[in-house]
Amino acid sequence: MDYLAKKYTRPRKIPSTACSGCGLGINHKAVLQAIYELGLEVEDIVWGTSIGCAGRQTFGTWKGDGFAGTHGRVYAIARGLRLALPSEKKIILTVGDGDAFGIGLLHLIHAARSNADLTVIVNDNLGYMSTGGQYGWTTPLGSKTDSSPYGMYEQNLMSDDIDVLSMLKHAGATFIARHVSMDGQRAVESIKKGIRNRGFSLIHMVYPCPTNFGSRELGTRNTIKLYEWIESRAAPLGEEDENTVWATGVYHDASNSRPEFSENIHKNVERIRRGAAL
Amino acid sequence: MRTEILASGFGGQGVVRLGQILGEAAVKQGYRVTMLKSHGTEMRGGYVRSQVVISDEPIDSPIVENADLFIALSLAAYNAFKHLVDSGVILYDPAFVVEIDETLRCTQIAVPAKDLAVENLGKAVFANTVMLGVTARMVEVLDRDVVLQSIMHVIPKYQEENKRAFETGYSFIDGN
Amino acid sequence: MKRYLETGNFAITEGAILAGCRFFAGYPITPATELAESMSYRLPQVDGIYIQGEDECAALHLCIGAALGGYKAMTATSGPGYILYADPYGWAIGCEIPLVILNSGRVGPVSGITGAPGQGEFYLTRYPTQGGNFETIVLAPNSAQEAMAITVEAFYLAERFRTPVTILADQLITDGFEDISVPENEEEMKEMGFRTWPRKINKGPEFYPPTDEIDIPPVVLGHNTGALCSDWTPTEEGYDIEEVAAHHKHAYRLIYKIRNNRNLFSNLYEKTFLDDDPDLIVVSYGTPSRVVNTAVKKARERGLKVGALRLINLWPFPDEHFQKSTRYLSVELNWDGQLVREVQRAVPKDAEVHFLGSCGDLPTVQDLIETFEKLLKGQSLSRRGWELEGW
Repeated sequence: MDYLAKKYTRPRKIPSTACSGCGLGINHKAVLQAIYELGLEVEDIVWGTSIGCAGRQTFGTWKGDGFAGTHGRVYAIARGLRLALPSEKKIILTVGDGDAFGIGLLHLIHAARSNADLTVIVNDNLGYMSTGGQYGWTTPLGSKTDSSPYGMYEQNLMSDDIDVLSMLKHAGATFIARHVSMDGQRAVESIKKGIRNRGFSLIHMVYPCPTNFGSRELGTRNTIKLYEWIESRAAPLGEEDENTVWATGVYHDASNSRPEFSENIHKNVERIRRGAAL
Repeated sequence: MRTEILASGFGGQGVVRLGQILGEAAVKQGYRVTMLKSHGTEMRGGYVRSQVVISDEPIDSPIVENADLFIALSLAAYNAFKHLVDSGVILYDPAFVVEIDETLRCTQIAVPAKDLAVENLGKAVFANTVMLGVTARMVEVLDRDVVLQSIMHVIPKYQEENKRAFETGYSFIDGN
Repeated sequence: MKRYLETGNFAITEGAILAGCRFFAGYPITPATELAESMSYRLPQVDGIYIQGEDECAALHLCIGAALGGYKAMTATSGPGYILYADPYGWAIGCEIPLVILNSGRVGPVSGITGAPGQGEFYLTRYPTQGGNFETIVLAPNSAQEAMAITVEAFYLAERFRTPVTILADQLITDGFEDISVPENEEEMKEMGFRTWPRKINKGPEFYPPTDEIDIPPVVLGHNTGALCSDWTPTEEGYDIEEVAAHHKHAYRLIYKIRNNRNLFSNLYEKTFLDDDPDLIVVSYGTPSRVVNTAVKKARERGLKVGALRLINLWPFPDEHFQKSTRYLSVELNWDGQLVREVQRAVPKDAEVHFLGSCGDLPTVQDLIETFEKLLKGQSLSRRGWELEGW
């Protein structure tokens, strides 16, 4: 990560204070790699984060301007900011699954609905891990967590043929992809497409949490075992089998197919300012 | 100088617009004005209310507690607010206020605004403008022409009919 | 100067535009809906943005985002929406974001009565969010014309103190019509006492210095200053930190930048007949104060030695007005008594404090004068609330 770290991150925050074996750093690096491959500089991006492991560990890492919202609300803040920033500034949000798919889902749907030019990286550690490990909205059915000691049995956003990504697609998101940390360059390519899309992009990226998820569900903090556990349940789209929980790749690419939120608003304000009648 | 005008009736009669026209006229004449429109609670109680206060000084309380003029456009409104008129005048439309309280000390004038509107203009919707004509005649501080201008400003449609309705009301008192 | 017969919502809209507000995020709620409507009509005409949030919480977050990008931003609601601000309000206080928030009070709790004025959020505006360790600025106009002036002033204070400012109004102020004068140029603005402050940009790297100073520019993102802001306790550079010593500096700044510079707005009050040591001081704010003023003037004509103190600056609470040991009467649009508690706290130990509350409707001048007479005769006001309504 050296050259990326040096170019884009602050020495005070990198290396991060994440637990040993945490997969968040891999996701984070994939985002930086995508930024690098797109030739973007520090001043081209304002970086927002949320609450929870993914938010707190990435807050303040970006060398440029950054902000962290209250729990679940960063999408609304980012939409307000989107209206204020020039269109060439990119807004990238690194958030967690609880933030995006739980408390922030309403705001996330409205960000998708309005096709706000944001690239949201949902770093999914399969539940609420910064509070010690409770089940969330993408926790695989049957998983043991501190709040599902008998195995998770509540329907969620990835059970019973429900997929939060199809919900977001129908809400109007113009780019959606899903990956696991181990996807390497495939994930980087998806993130690049997401950043390039002038509209709402979301990349769902599952990552391993050995400290809480691993220790409860697998009974071990052994990083390799957890990585294998996730990898064996992931397969590229079209190559799924009966064990597949996470089909990876680009789910939906309608990049630049409909008006972007702030562009649309500014265009209409301009039209009215020039004297449009009621 | 403080003039208090209260108008009340049921929803859809244009009570708020009536208050707005009177208030706007007073502003054009350079007075200080407040105009409170009805509350939702009152709508449930069966009446809508406009309270207009006109003064040559800044107005503290915007509440009509002692009306110089009360325009009653429904029986419920009449009964709810008749006690707020002491030395003032109540204008009521007998088409709606079918029974009046003879024990009141104040002057009560029956203005058949609805009938006059139908008779002279063929439509009951002009009843309010008839009532505004009467009001312009009754309220000393209001200038006839300015009230008419405000009607034209607030109600851009049917200007000819509204002018005639206003004249009908304005000359009503003298004709009776 | 142009004169209109218009609502408080119109006055607030024009005030906001004069103050440089070019962003409003709304969410429909009676009686603040008309302000949103009027902003949606006016802002695009002056190159401003109106946007509707998915809820009030989102509306204030949208304002935060816009303010972070350099806009002067505003939102408005009533009590049931104001409680949904708790989350973003705290964030804006902590990150020191200039914003203006209008709360047009109605009768509660919860949805209560939509169409009647209320004053149930006196304390809520002081503590609009959790956690403590902060001070808030709250201003309460009592007329449409004053609502315009207070809106301009709220934007001014928000910038200089880099904090959200709440304007606490009620349904009669925002929905009621009044004659309103709108200044048409800067000279007329000055004549009316309007002052404005431009948005400035904090260049960093010390975004949160441990000082009570005002006029430090707020964080504005997108200028590549390396600005950081978050919901966590910040270091001076804005990094999140779990250290009590750092929080002490943070809390000191949040509290004392406002307390120690109160003189900037402590002139916001109105005193009527208070020069001759009255036997009764009637304390109120918002619309009830207008009825109080009429009542006090009438009472004086009848020889009652009564005076009125109207608060415009509600928070930080202006204790300095309560030095005299005499009788006080707090007149409020609620039955539980909120302002009265603060008056009780602020007055000398041997002062007498009374409360007259009404719920949903204003007190009448007659009610008030009868109350003054009772108190001046030394009679008590103790009665059960429901008897007031004659059920």
